[in-house]
This record gives sequence, structure tokens and C-alpha cells, in this order.
Amino acid sequence: MTDNSPEIKVIIIPCSGIGKTYGSVSREAAYEVVENLRPEKTCLVALSLLVMGDEKTHDIMTEHPAITIDGCKLACATKMARASGGVVIKDYAVLDVYRRYRQYKPQGIADLNEGGIQLAHALAQEIALTVDSLTSTNDSTSPTGRAKVDGGQNG
Amino acid sequence: MVDYLQTTIGKFLFKVAVDRYYTNEGIWVLHEGDQCRLGISDFFQQRNGDIAFIEIKPEGTKVSSGDEFVVIETIKVNISLASPITGTIVTVNPLLTTTPEIINQDPFGAGWLVNITAMNWESDQKCLLEPNAYFLRMKDQAEEAAR
Repeated sequence: MTDNSPEIKVIIIPCSGIGKTYGSVSREAAYEVVENLRPEKTCLVALSLLVMGDEKTHDIMTEHPAITIDGCKLACATKMARASGGVVIKDYAVLDVYRRYRQYKPQGIADLNEGGIQLAHALAQEIALTVDSLTSTNDSTSPTGRAKVDGGQNG
Repeated sequence: MVDYLQTTIGKFLFKVAVDRYYTNEGIWVLHEGDQCRLGISDFFQQRNGDIAFIEIKPEGTKVSSGDEFVVIETIKVNISLASPITGTIVTVNPLLTTTPEIINQDPFGAGWLVNITAMNWESDQKCLLEPNAYFLRMKDQAEEAAR
């Protein structure tokens, strides 16, 4: 991950499910948020770094609130973020998002179909708004600010 | 309290409730009085993945054995299922409108699909599998899928 800017306030952790359509949607959405929509407010953490117990990543996890995006009900991103000492302010499940955007049926893996791209875009927009709500109040940018927003979907 | 037959294949545990009948495809049928409650088996829901949407014929619909009564969209496939029972759909599980994932969470219980009045139960029953027979068939299918 990169954490060079003091402005970065929210960690985005997508699913690492390689070869899974919904995992791909989660990653595309994460990239869109971090690279295009809210680059100044967010940073990406690779789930693999949490699994490996990377020290620097662990430190960052304890300093910033996290938004996780899970590709399936195993919810690896959310579970690992919490197990790593992070505070998950909002956990998105791609399937729940798809239920709200049925017109965007995701298919494909390495290359998502148009539905998958659109679903990732819709999800990214939702995450961007969540980031805005988190960063609009100073208190909410610390892990203890979790009570100010929705505590998540999947427990 | 329902008893289950169960087997572990790979990292997956599959259960078969012993108090009901089954179709080859994995629909279960629980006969109670003049009605049958229908749902899908644990193996069926695990094999096909998380359910995104489900569309069931509305209450009052008359179905014959072999008629489509539900279409299920999972993260993997779209599946159309035929009713193994002839009769009229009298109740559609109201939970499925807002929480279709209940089928994945509790396929033999809260995740039931419909109640149907059974018009020809005796003849329909002959086409169904006893739980032991379905268990063996399901086990074969699961082992085949694991290879």
C-alpha cells in the first residue's frame, strides 16, 4: 500500500478472491475509489498483507478507519481487517450491492462484462459517499469515530 | 428437531433432512396434511452458490408436476425448477422477497419456498426419493463435482 499523504484518512480493503467474478467487482470498485474518485482521502490495502501480518500495514490499520468490500459471504476482507486490529466502519458485500442494481449482472473474471464494470462503478460511487461522510467530521476519521456511521452489513 | 444424514466431501459438509422426500434435482418435499412444503436441499444451495434473486409463481397459481414454479438466480447460474407436486400454490415464503439469502442460511427450515395443496399426493410421491436414496445420489454428485 501507499500512505505517503497525510490527507489519506480511510483504508479500502477489497476481496482478494482471484478467479471470482464478485471478487473482481470488489477490486475494480476499490481501484476506482482510490485512484479516481477519492484519491486524496483513501488508500488501498491488499488483503494479502494483512494475511501475512505485515507490520507496517498493521500499524496503518490501527491508525485509520477501514471500509471493506467482500466478494462472498466468507467475508475475508472484513474478518482479516478486524483480526488485524482495524476498525471496519462499513463493510460492503458485492452480492448485496448487486441486489440493488439488478440491471448490472456481473460476469467474467479477468475481464468483467459491461454489467460487472457498471456494478463496480455503482459500488465505487456508494463507497465514495461513505468516505465523504467519514471524512466530513474530524472525529470520524479516527477508528473511534465508528459510531458516527453505519456499522456495516455483515457483522 | 430434525435429524440429518450428513457427509463431508473435501472441505464441505452436506446435510440431508430425514423427515422429507426429495427429487433428483434437489428439491425437498415435506408432506403435512393436505399440503406439501417445498424447498431446496443443502447440497443444491451449496453447489449453486449464493442466491441473488428468486422469482416464484404467485399464490393461487395451479401447477402440475413438471411445471416451472421458481426461477433462481445465484452468483453462478440461473436455474428454473419444476414442481414435483400437482396442486395450487397457497403460500409463498414471505421472507424471500427481502432476504433470499435465507435459503442459503437455512435451506431445510426458514428458507422454504412454497406451500402447495397436494392434489395427487399418492402418485406424486411415487416419483420422489426417500432421504436415504437422495443422500446416496447427492453424495455421488458431490464426489463427482469434487474431482
